[in-house]
Amino acid sequence: MALIMGMALAAYTTSHAQIAYHFRAEPQEQQFNRLINEIRCLVCQNQSLAESSAPLAHDLRQKIYLQVQARKTDAEIKDYLVKRYGEFILLRPLVNKTNFLLWSFPFLGLFFIFIIFYKIIKRNFKVIS
Amino acid sequence: MKSIIKMTSFFVLFALMALLWRQLFYSNPHELPSALINESMPSFTLNTINNYTQLKDTEFTGKVRLLNFWATWCSACSIEHAMLMKIKTQYHIPIYGILYKDEKDEALTWLSQHGDPYVKVGDDKNGDVGIDFGVYGTPETYVINEQGKIIYRHIGAIDEATWKNILLPIIKKNS
Repeated sequence: MALIMGMALAAYTTSHAQIAYHFRAEPQEQQFNRLINEIRCLVCQNQSLAESSAPLAHDLRQKIYLQVQARKTDAEIKDYLVKRYGEFILLRPLVNKTNFLLWSFPFLGLFFIFIIFYKIIKRNFKVIS
Repeated sequence: MKSIIKMTSFFVLFALMALLWRQLFYSNPHELPSALINESMPSFTLNTINNYTQLKDTEFTGKVRLLNFWATWCSACSIEHAMLMKIKTQYHIPIYGILYKDEKDEALTWLSQHGDPYVKVGDDKNGDVGIDFGVYGTPETYVINEQGKIIYRHIGAIDEATWKNILLPIIKKNS
């Protein structure tokens, strides 16, 4: 019961930042919220910047806010962070040669399982008929 | 044919299990490699904590130096302090400090009480220089080579073992 309530609360933490950030317009606010949910807090590593109350998370939210206000694109802001902290700071890994195995692994796994099921079903079919 | 499939499946699964074992017990996600390895230091200019002069990235050429991000509120920093003094007095490797998100008066008091291992300490009051370096927790120590490039970053307090087995060999190799 407590777990379900905790999960419900977690879904409402996107605007967690303890400071009220003021934006020029709606798109900027959306961009900010989108970014702080996609960047990892390196101190509390399973939380995004939106969820974390670590001082570094606060500092990085501040940096992202300033860059959003300066009309930087998502790519520019993410590049800024990856250049300093490495790819690990992105909660969603980049799609490139190094991460190819990471991304394709679930599909390969499912394909492999499908082959096995197919063979088992075919074998059982032969036994029945 | 069937036994080949069984053998490959076994080895694939074994390899995955070995990888899982290694990641669970032998890797520490809190010790991240620096994203700036083999790159020049980010450029910066900071006032020193005693306010007499400045600390700039351009000062870091000509020999191998250590750059240590620290704070008086960081308990691991007091633990590694003795080791830093040893590195200064026994090994004669210059250590530059950057005070990270702290009060310079507290730092000056602390250093006068415990000893000062630093050639200079820059005052990074708002942590901006820290962010440029990719600092995510103190203490962090960067090894800077003669060209001013970051060749290694150590996360956490430096102890004897880390110094002898990791940092000193790296410094020697690059001198």
